Amino acid sequence: MFNKILIANRGEIAVRIIRACRDLGVKTVAVYSDVDRAALHVRYADEAYHIGPPPARESYLRIDKILEVVERSGADAIHPGYGFLAERPEFALACAEKGVAFIGPPASAIGAMGDKAVARATVQKAGVPVVPGTEGEGGLRDKEILAVAPQVGFPLLVKATFGGGGKGMRLVERWEDLPRALVSARREAEAAFGDGAVYLEKVVEGARHVEVQLLADQHGNCVHLGERECSIQRRHQKLMEEAPAPFVDDDLRRRMGEVAVRAAQAIHYSNAGTVEFLVDKDKNFYFLEMNTRLQVEHPVTEMVTGIDIVKEQIRIARGRKLRYAQDDIHLNGWAIECRINAEDPFNDFVPSTGRINALGRPSGPGVRVDSGIEEGSEITPYYDSLLTKLVVWGETRGEAIVRMRRALREYRVIGIKTNVPFHQAILESHRFHGGQFDTTFVEQRFSMDEDVPPELPRVAAIAATLAAHRRGQEATQIVHGPTQDVSNWKLAGRVKR
Amino acid sequence: MKYATTVGGQTFIMDVNRDDQVTVDGETLAVDFFSIDQVTEFSLLLDNHSYELLVNEADGDYQVLLLGHLFNARVEDERARRLAQAVRGFAPTGGELQIKAPMPGLIVAIPAMLGHVVQQGDVLVILESMKMENEIKAPRDGVVSGVRTQLRQNVEQGQTLITIT
Repeated sequence: MFNKILIANRGEIAVRIIRACRDLGVKTVAVYSDVDRAALHVRYADEAYHIGPPPARESYLRIDKILEVVERSGADAIHPGYGFLAERPEFALACAEKGVAFIGPPASAIGAMGDKAVARATVQKAGVPVVPGTEGEGGLRDKEILAVAPQVGFPLLVKATFGGGGKGMRLVERWEDLPRALVSARREAEAAFGDGAVYLEKVVEGARHVEVQLLADQHGNCVHLGERECSIQRRHQKLMEEAPAPFVDDDLRRRMGEVAVRAAQAIHYSNAGTVEFLVDKDKNFYFLEMNTRLQVEHPVTEMVTGIDIVKEQIRIARGRKLRYAQDDIHLNGWAIECRINAEDPFNDFVPSTGRINALGRPSGPGVRVDSGIEEGSEITPYYDSLLTKLVVWGETRGEAIVRMRRALREYRVIGIKTNVPFHQAILESHRFHGGQFDTTFVEQRFSMDEDVPPELPRVAAIAATLAAHRRGQEATQIVHGPTQDVSNWKLAGRVKR
Repeated sequence: MKYATTVGGQTFIMDVNRDDQVTVDGETLAVDFFSIDQVTEFSLLLDNHSYELLVNEADGDYQVLLLGHLFNARVEDERARRLAQAVRGFAPTGGELQIKAPMPGLIVAIPAMLGHVVQQGDVLVILESMKMENEIKAPRDGVVSGVRTQLRQNVEQGQTLITIT
């Protein structure tokens, strides 16, 4: 087993990885930028090294600085987490050159799936159905894109070739809107991934986003751990995930799993990975992309399979054979995850920054909290807005939903705004209960203002009144002020007991 | 002390003259309004029904977050009501509108130009924060009277970016 693992990441995933290392008896090394000195992952690790100013490109994305820390700390493996350098083939290569194990797939597999256009072409050759879009490999220029767009058909999506996490994507309904969408998508992709290349994909109407989790060792063995449903999204960013997916039956699961394994074996994949599919109303599924890393939503798969995916990643990177054959994988019960972001759902999800003054975590049966924050944590605009993942397990989907409602109610964050009310509203929605939703649900068919219980406005009125009354009492206890100031208060007679 | 509190179009007439009681539209309820953090978090017992809420005062209105629902409450005491009735009839003047940054971030594009006529919904500034681009749009029609920021500038929340008349 490795002696010491460096976690090249921050926030909740860094804490998650440290936990797996602790469970394996492996020492941990954290890296941090100026604003992360007091972060949970730094306090939790065995060693911690400062790597630069807050902007990611001067710290968490600096391969040279991270490898310097490997040198100083004597770490023999690196876990890249998700985002940042996790899907940069040059980082995996640099690790190999340095002689430090990269806990992830080979650089060649990262590269093959990293260029989304190449990925589509590669798996298509292996007989995997893909979402219709621009064919062939390589970066297309605007002129070529504009020319081929009508063949792809509208509405379509402009997507970042090296993208992920829903960034650098734009929905385009008409050809006239395409030029502006290209400018905007390229700029966002350039900022997020360092490359503004884009490709086109036809929008599959009424599609659900279903992905399959894979584990492959370095000896050619590969299994799938079932699927996840990720259709609750906003601006192409996932907000809520569940395992298994509500309308996937055993047969569809088996077929999608086989295709996912086939795609992975086509590129000689090893370690953890996820194949994303779009599934239409007729249960046809199409390859969307493959994520060659650990994903944010991995906990729901862990909860229904009982497998610790991060521990398996570390074992696989050490050269161990997979401990499971496909027949050993059983899905038990139902898990749901809510991503708690620092965003205000009542104000168009505007990001919220500031200090977390108080924090109350949910607990009790079937509740898991993967958090990167603590009381006193500062939320800054330099990194993405994910604070915590709330994950619940239930014997049935219904039980999981009720349990998530309980967990959300127990979760308290004071000091910044969070999207907890949004999740609460989704869980009240009849369509969500019935599993009747697709990727357009949040943006088109859902509103924060629905279904207010009728007694609540009066309770809110009473609370506001009492707060105002209390404030008034406190204020009139400080009766000062220049006597020459003629104000409304004085005119109306402000003196009170 | 009498109050008229309006939430979502409904007005409740309340009487608060004891610490443990409140009368709402003629009905008297037992009340215990306990401040948890002395700032914004409260536990309210209303006839022994327990509610946890966050109360924030903003621009004279009270925002109440209760069981995942956000309410905007306007609380007027007797005095304020009389004053409000006295000044009614004065229409608000149009004036210069300041477009402020809703969050801290980096200015990556400024489509608005001094002197341009803009319509409601036109994109004035693009602000990058938490790795996403956010379009700041004109809340109403007008003319751009000032561009108070520049490309690649880091701005604070609440900082004025554009003015419109």
